[in-house]
Amino acid sequence: MSVTAINRTLTAVLLAVLVAAPWVLPMFEAEFWLAITAEMLIWGLFAASANLLFGHVGLLSFGQALYFGFGMYGVAIGVDRFGLGFWPALGLGIAAAVAMAAVAGVFAVRLTWHYFAIITVVFSLIFYFLALRLKPLTGGDDGLSFAPPPVARFGDVTLSLGDETVQYLVILAFAVAAFAFQARLYASPLGRAFAAVRESERKAALLGIDVLKVRWIAFVIAGGLAGLAGALFAFYGRYASATYMYYVVSGEAVIWTIVGGTGTLLGPGIGAALLTLVREELSTVWEHYLLVVGAVVILTVVFAPRGIAGAWNAALARLPGVRS
Amino acid sequence: MLANLATLALNGLAWGLIVALIALGLSIIFGLLDVINVAHGDLFMVGGVLAWTAVETTGSFAAALVVVPLLGMALGLATERFAIRPILRNPALTIVSTFGLSLILQEAVRATFGPAPRRLMAPLPGTLPVFGTNYEIYRLAAAVAAALALAAFFLFQQRTRFGTWMRAVRHDRETALTLGIPVARVQLLTFALGAALALLGGVIAAPITTVDFRAGVEILPACFMAVVIGGLGNLPGTAAAAVLLAVTEGVVSGLSDPTAARITSLCLMSAVLLLRPQGLFAGAAR
Repeated sequence: MSVTAINRTLTAVLLAVLVAAPWVLPMFEAEFWLAITAEMLIWGLFAASANLLFGHVGLLSFGQALYFGFGMYGVAIGVDRFGLGFWPALGLGIAAAVAMAAVAGVFAVRLTWHYFAIITVVFSLIFYFLALRLKPLTGGDDGLSFAPPPVARFGDVTLSLGDETVQYLVILAFAVAAFAFQARLYASPLGRAFAAVRESERKAALLGIDVLKVRWIAFVIAGGLAGLAGALFAFYGRYASATYMYYVVSGEAVIWTIVGGTGTLLGPGIGAALLTLVREELSTVWEHYLLVVGAVVILTVVFAPRGIAGAWNAALARLPGVRS
Repeated sequence: MLANLATLALNGLAWGLIVALIALGLSIIFGLLDVINVAHGDLFMVGGVLAWTAVETTGSFAAALVVVPLLGMALGLATERFAIRPILRNPALTIVSTFGLSLILQEAVRATFGPAPRRLMAPLPGTLPVFGTNYEIYRLAAAVAAALALAAFFLFQQRTRFGTWMRAVRHDRETALTLGIPVARVQLLTFALGAALALLGGVIAAPITTVDFRAGVEILPACFMAVVIGGLGNLPGTAAAAVLLAVTEGVVSGLSDPTAARITSLCLMSAVLLLRPQGLFAGAAR
């Protein structure tokens, strides 16, 4: 067997477990975990947007919270101010994030490495402070709460986010779709162009790849992923707040990605799941659990610089009878 | 109104000189190690907390001014050795490990010092008449202290052998290595020196602001702005940019409000990044 085959099998098992969770968890009286798993999926999507830029195109963005925030506010303002339904509001959130990324991307992708990291933070800070200032529109620090509209109606049956199972399955469906999309993307010619730009900008340019255009496309797609995560998180929490646009939130996406495994498909999700788990479980036991998170982050990069997914693949490859 | 603006400009000057100290540390660490130290703001915050603790236990602000930067140096040495050195070849990973350090510092302070902000009494009470208003003596003293520390750092860099090594490593690491300069040791001490500057800034700023475990997260963007607008690796430019930004923010926030001032300086920073990524003062003396 090869490492890829083992990982494919495990991914299929994971998917089956996630789909069965709403019916399996009540058997163990652990419904509580359904909401946590939904949150893990959302943060996993958010981390995936940082991973797309850093792991695949080699651009370290510390500003993904901006697009997450646009996704959140698109939904909250759409529902609260314009009275939109579930799907139009979701669409508005994603469209707002994509539009913002398309504009910011034109400027940001001209810069690389440190300068790129800094300009992405600067853009996100500008809109963070704007969101704090435009209180009538955004609610500022307090945020904007809303009552979520129903997802769909079939005759007499109404699917609403108030039902934990419906909410979880909606989030799971989007997460699975987004990961399937990424798998296709990275295997496509465009995905190869991403890798070429990451490995060597000059060689990519000599091969006839329009480096700026490829970077811009990646930036917009990553903005869309972050926007989707933000839109789902707005529906999940039933509110939007400027605090989620601060640079610390962007930093977390990068951290989760690197702890989970940069450039891998499931690494960002694993990192996000691990840290959500620590936050939910350890925080009930010990108030100062962030000390542990900080230590884990440092130990991971020092001793397993390829992240959890990288360490896992290396360990698998060392097993007898496994081809790398 | 004019007197009011003068006060705001003076506040900006004092604050800008303190930010310059912190930004200088950020800049030398970046210039010599290629490390973006995300925990740098938290080092500043720890300086304030330790100053508060020192004053509570010994009653002497002077003691804090001497001891706290030394503790910062020790903290910097340990951090470089254990969290930076093993992954120095991969700059992206060092951002992550300093982020981990930032979490640890904030949470350690929250666990011991507590989540509530506290105030430290100014060691020099009283006011002086300046431009027709009464201005706090301590703020002037803080500005002078920060300016002296900046001057001392530049003298150290220009006049001592170690300072020359630092400039050499920043200029061209490979050549410095072939010339027999102990690059690894220079980098280690540079990180420690940067940390000490941040803690010193924290001590000087403590009586002006509140001592709070979130102070680092708030000051970090201002320091990055100074480093970028001054030009990455351009130390006098960084110091000048810090003062310029703080005075501008002070005056703009007097005319409208602090958030508008922040947005103004962030837009200025975007323009500098896009139009003159080498910084506003490139070409001036290094």
